[in-house]
Amino acid sequence: MLEFNQVHKAYATPQGPLVVLEGIDLRLGGGESLALMGESGSGKSTLLHLAAGLDLPDAGEVNVAGHAISALNEPSRARLRRDTLGLVFQQFHLVPSLNVFDNLRLQARLAGRERPEWSTHLAERLGLAGLERRYPEQLSGGQQQRLAIGRALAPRPALLLADEPTGNLDEASAGDVLELLLELVREAGSALLMVTHSPQVATPLDRCLRLTHGRLEPLEEYDQEASRR
Amino acid sequence: MKPIAILTTLLTTAWLAGCADESPTSEAAGFAGLGEAAGDFAQARPGTSLRFPQDHAAHPDYRIEWWYLTANLEDERSEPLGLQWTLFRQAMTPPDERPEPTPWAADQLWMAHMAVSQGDTHRVAERFARSHSASEEGQAGTVAEPFRAWIDHWQLASHVETSGEASKTDTFAELSLSAHQDDEHGGFGYDLTLTAEGPLVLHGEAGFSQKAADGQGSFYYSQPFWRIEGEVTLDGETRMVSGRGWLDREWSSQLLDERQQGWDWFSLHLESGHKLMAFQLRGGGEDGGDYRSGTWVTPEGEPTALAPDAIGMTLLDTRRVSGREIPTRWRLEVPGAGFDLIVEAPHAERWMDTSVPYWEGEVVARDADSGEDKGIGYLEMTGY
Amino acid sequence: MLTALVTLLSHYKRHPGQLAMLLLGLWVAGALWSGVQAINASARDSYARAEALFSTGLDRLERRDGEPLTREDYLRLRRAGLPVSPLLEGTLEASDGTELRVIGVDPFTLPGDSAFAAASSQGELTDFLTPPWQTRIAPDTLPALGVNAREAPGAEPRLATGRLPPLVLSPMLPPGTLVMDIAAAAVLLDSGERLSRLVTAPKALEHPPEGLVLTRATTLVSPGQLTESFHLNLTAMALLALVVGLFIVQAALGLALEQRLGMLRTLRALGVSGRGLVGLLALELVLLGVIGALAGIASGVWLARVLLPDVAATLGSLYGADVAVMLNLPWHYWLGGLGVTLGGLLLAGSGVLWRAARLSVLGLGQAQAWRAGFLRQLRGMALTGGAVAAGGLGLWVWLTHQPTGEGLLAGFGLIAALLLTSALLLPPLLALALAGLGRLMRRRPLAQWALADLKLQLPRLALAMMALLIALSANLGVSSMVGGFRLTFLEWLDQRLVADYYLRPAPEQFDAVQAWLAERPEVAELLPTRHAEATLLEVEGTGGARTPHLPVGLYGITPGESLIPSWPLLATQAGRDAAWQSFAAGEAFVNEQLAIDQGLAPSDRLTLSAPGGQETLVVAAVYPDYGNTRGEVLLATPKLAERFAATPSSIGIVLTVGADEVGLRDALRQRFELGSDALVDQREVKRVSVEIFERTFTITRALSVLTLAVAALALLASLLAQARERRRQLAPLWALGVPRARLVAIQLAQLGGMALAVGALAVPLGSVLALGLVAVINVAAFGWRLPLHVFPGDIALTLATAGAVALLAAALPAARLWRTPPRALLAEEAP
Repeated sequence: MLEFNQVHKAYATPQGPLVVLEGIDLRLGGGESLALMGESGSGKSTLLHLAAGLDLPDAGEVNVAGHAISALNEPSRARLRRDTLGLVFQQFHLVPSLNVFDNLRLQARLAGRERPEWSTHLAERLGLAGLERRYPEQLSGGQQQRLAIGRALAPRPALLLADEPTGNLDEASAGDVLELLLELVREAGSALLMVTHSPQVATPLDRCLRLTHGRLEPLEEYDQEASRR
Repeated sequence: MKPIAILTTLLTTAWLAGCADESPTSEAAGFAGLGEAAGDFAQARPGTSLRFPQDHAAHPDYRIEWWYLTANLEDERSEPLGLQWTLFRQAMTPPDERPEPTPWAADQLWMAHMAVSQGDTHRVAERFARSHSASEEGQAGTVAEPFRAWIDHWQLASHVETSGEASKTDTFAELSLSAHQDDEHGGFGYDLTLTAEGPLVLHGEAGFSQKAADGQGSFYYSQPFWRIEGEVTLDGETRMVSGRGWLDREWSSQLLDERQQGWDWFSLHLESGHKLMAFQLRGGGEDGGDYRSGTWVTPEGEPTALAPDAIGMTLLDTRRVSGREIPTRWRLEVPGAGFDLIVEAPHAERWMDTSVPYWEGEVVARDADSGEDKGIGYLEMTGY
Repeated sequence: MLTALVTLLSHYKRHPGQLAMLLLGLWVAGALWSGVQAINASARDSYARAEALFSTGLDRLERRDGEPLTREDYLRLRRAGLPVSPLLEGTLEASDGTELRVIGVDPFTLPGDSAFAAASSQGELTDFLTPPWQTRIAPDTLPALGVNAREAPGAEPRLATGRLPPLVLSPMLPPGTLVMDIAAAAVLLDSGERLSRLVTAPKALEHPPEGLVLTRATTLVSPGQLTESFHLNLTAMALLALVVGLFIVQAALGLALEQRLGMLRTLRALGVSGRGLVGLLALELVLLGVIGALAGIASGVWLARVLLPDVAATLGSLYGADVAVMLNLPWHYWLGGLGVTLGGLLLAGSGVLWRAARLSVLGLGQAQAWRAGFLRQLRGMALTGGAVAAGGLGLWVWLTHQPTGEGLLAGFGLIAALLLTSALLLPPLLALALAGLGRLMRRRPLAQWALADLKLQLPRLALAMMALLIALSANLGVSSMVGGFRLTFLEWLDQRLVADYYLRPAPEQFDAVQAWLAERPEVAELLPTRHAEATLLEVEGTGGARTPHLPVGLYGITPGESLIPSWPLLATQAGRDAAWQSFAAGEAFVNEQLAIDQGLAPSDRLTLSAPGGQETLVVAAVYPDYGNTRGEVLLATPKLAERFAATPSSIGIVLTVGADEVGLRDALRQRFELGSDALVDQREVKRVSVEIFERTFTITRALSVLTLAVAALALLASLLAQARERRRQLAPLWALGVPRARLVAIQLAQLGGMALAVGALAVPLGSVLALGLVAVINVAAFGWRLPLHVFPGDIALTLATAGAVALLAAALPAARLWRTPPRALLAEEAP
């Protein structure tokens, strides 16, 4: 589903090039879930953006659902995102001009894959029922986060990319939202790549990797924990 | 601003400068600029004999000149009535700087005043014109024979036929005066016949009238013996009038001494048939005092020139007229002729609010002791 | 406090675009307003100077037979006691080709208050009167003589005909005018004993002396009066530009406040009082205002300098008013310009200050409140728009009860109300339309989003769209009016100018020339004209009798085969043919101006003063008379000559087909001694007329285009100001898989679509505006009504302009969106 082969990425800064990713290798199969941890500024979001085709690698290859994104032009990458991916941002990025109902269905409709029952189901599961006519800024932070998750899952994407989906929430609601997210991902049958800095959030996922100094390394404690489970 | 104001401006430097009523002493060039240096103009000098009728007409080589008629009249109801008609001439350039006589080119500037006064009513009009001395017929001008002096339709002209043999007769023996002016009161003016009942009177030394102690002066003669008949219109009402008139003729290039500020000028018709002309020029006498002069004329027209010390003039009273203090009561003494008169203006409101303002009005003369009526006449005061 | 002010201003350091937009708005508003005011002030100064000159305000005498008066005539009249003054007038060509008017006067007889008198009050009149004389000249005439102001006094510039008398500066004189003593003028103009005319104080003469024509001063309406409507037009246009510019300012201020709400709250929290904060914001406004206004005034003066020659030419040809081509600005102009710009700024900023004053320190719920706030705002706009519309309707009802040609100001008020109503109703209408369309687009998610998104942008774009609507409507209205006028005018010229040549012989030649021409085989018909002046004593019609005592011009035309078929008539009593028959029999035609002014209709009776007493005429028809400002009465030439002792004026020569024009011209010139300008080709007349026409509306056109440019700037500024935020709003869409090209296209479609909608609204609005201009303003300002023409080309152009303006304005933000690195769109984690 998602494959990184020796991916390098650096940014030009006034102080010279800043190397963010240095030879990343990563594989994620269909329906699999992976947590990506790391310090702030370790390049987690960059990796996610590359996975979403929002950005291109300097060297190496990123494959999404069998497409090498470097070989695709902008419109094709956009189509790939629309049809195959779901994105949940730390900042939600809801569309302020649309109400809850239209926001929730937006990507599904753009992709031409809207299933009203699924949308309704999502709304109910996400606790957004009865709020359909509201606009994003009229929702609480948790509601906005759940709406962003709903919007990403509405087209039942093959791969869900989530960037700190609970980063703006308190611990209690973060747990609830995470649980819900995992359940719905499972229901939708999507693969999940989630960036987080919190071990609690990472724990329920199938695998966990840590990004340090531009390289990925497996997380020892996590493996032990996983094997215990 | 009226044309009058234009002329005032002109006259500031040229002729009759604004007489600086508040501070006469600051005016170095005398009243109305008459004291300015004469430059290349002809000069009035003693020993020049006057010739008539030529000298009735203008003398463009001299800077200034006037034909000055005043009259003390009575209407049908025996109400006294005064009138004045004056034509002034000024040369704008000395004779050798005259412009070519192209159309409209001018070297002579004319100004005329007329006034009719009765009781407290005093109507004044003023006109201006230009002419070239090389041209006979202008908007204003004079002709010696038959005598004529005019500006627009205001005219003083001889009645005497002077064709052929008759040219020996005096063109000045009978004149007619006509002047009319429209105004907001219904208009005023006159049509008068003037008959000379005596000869011309030459003032000073055979017509040279000294005006300052240093000897400068003017040519000056008068016809004080006019009998006048005719019609006068005042505020639209016309009445028959009759009475006496006095015509002064004077020309010069420098009338006033530079230090002189103005004058007080009397012309009196006395009951005895005598005429008295007396003036004082304020400043310019010996030691900077006033300079006085005059002429005592017998009923037959024999003049006696009065020396400066032969005349006494004492200001007795002033009145507030048009914002100025105007002397309206004088003591006039001519001891040599046995006269001691109180000369008084019965109506003070005779201010001539013309471009060059002055006071000109009828006066009555009474004996200083007895208060007995002695005569009537005109008083002109300038520089106040 | 200074720290707080610096903090407030630091916002503009981060957002220089907003500062630029704010200053731009102030600048353009100030520039157009003060530019037009500079033109008006300068022209008014010229009128004041012209009116102070003797040519206006004095009655004039000329000889009935058209011969020049002479010095002898003058002396004769003076000796008859008439208070006439001689005036000699002529033109001299300056070294640079400028025609200078030479006026020779006689200061001794010149009546009344004249500029000359004032001018001479410091000078010496002897110098004026005696050689080498003096030339009184206004400083702004000096360049034509190639003399600079410093060396001017006493200079004696040489012209083709000789040296001018030494110059003396008189700022009160009209431009292009040299005043000197009549003797000096007679030498320069080589006029001999001839005079141009005699003048008298108004009403000094009751009747003209024998053989002379007396033209009353009131007949010569002062240019200031005539041109008032023209200046009102300009002022209205300038006000429009000012309002449009202030729209930009208001938009910029609103944005700057919104983005600084957080900062303001922080400042409040840090201890700056609410009142202090409002004071600081006001101080900031004034600071910016002064900068913007000064820049605006400076540019305005520049603009006026560029436009003034055209304005001067227009006023000169239309009203015969001399206007200086150099600016002459009184001190109050500068203060006024600053005052109006600052006042407008404070008005535009009052809303912002009010909001800042009510700012809550905690600022909770602000995010939720804006949507309701916008709805409230829309409701407010709709209500205000309705109220203004009602006011406008009231004004219109009032106007319909006014006599035709009245209410110029009310007419402008009506048009202002119309524009304001439309502008105020535009945002609510757009919001409604977007909601409706959104419902229709339920099935098209992207389209639905685009419409919803546009609705979200509406609060920001509303002002710019309002400005665009006003500018487009004004532009369409003005161009329709001008275009319609042009069409009518050209047609009218064709109808009026039927003769091939117009000959203006000297009066003593007139009969001989006419007789000679009548014998020529080339000539098909002769159309002699005559002219006289009279006073309209009484008007008798259906509305009763009135005694207007109005001076009117009388013109004689020859109702022959050539003229009758083409001469346009607006209203007749019983058809064209009957009208012409009555005309030939001695009835009169009146021009539209007189008909409107006096409420005349065919079959009404006019009583006019005539040399022989009074003449009563019946009105047979009303004819259009564009370009004229006076009331005129037409009679058949022979009747006019007979009843009003009219002087000969010109002879129209209609040639036979295929006539030898050149031969006739040469023969005519050989046979008669004709002045160089005595024979005029009809084509030449037309060319000059059209040229004058074009110039008349150059300024109007220029101003309406400038206003449109300002509106385009307003839109661009609004878009630029929100560009950054827009990108943030678009980012999720892009992340959701909408390609950037698509997003850019949607952006352009959104704006283009909205602008087209605005353009579509501007079409009816502009047409109504044109109707108002044609039926109300023109009638009141000029005295003639025009048919309303609709020009599809203009409408298409309006729509195209709307689209182009929007696309141009959107192009820059769109290009920036296109070029932005995709990653930056999300801008979540800067490296």
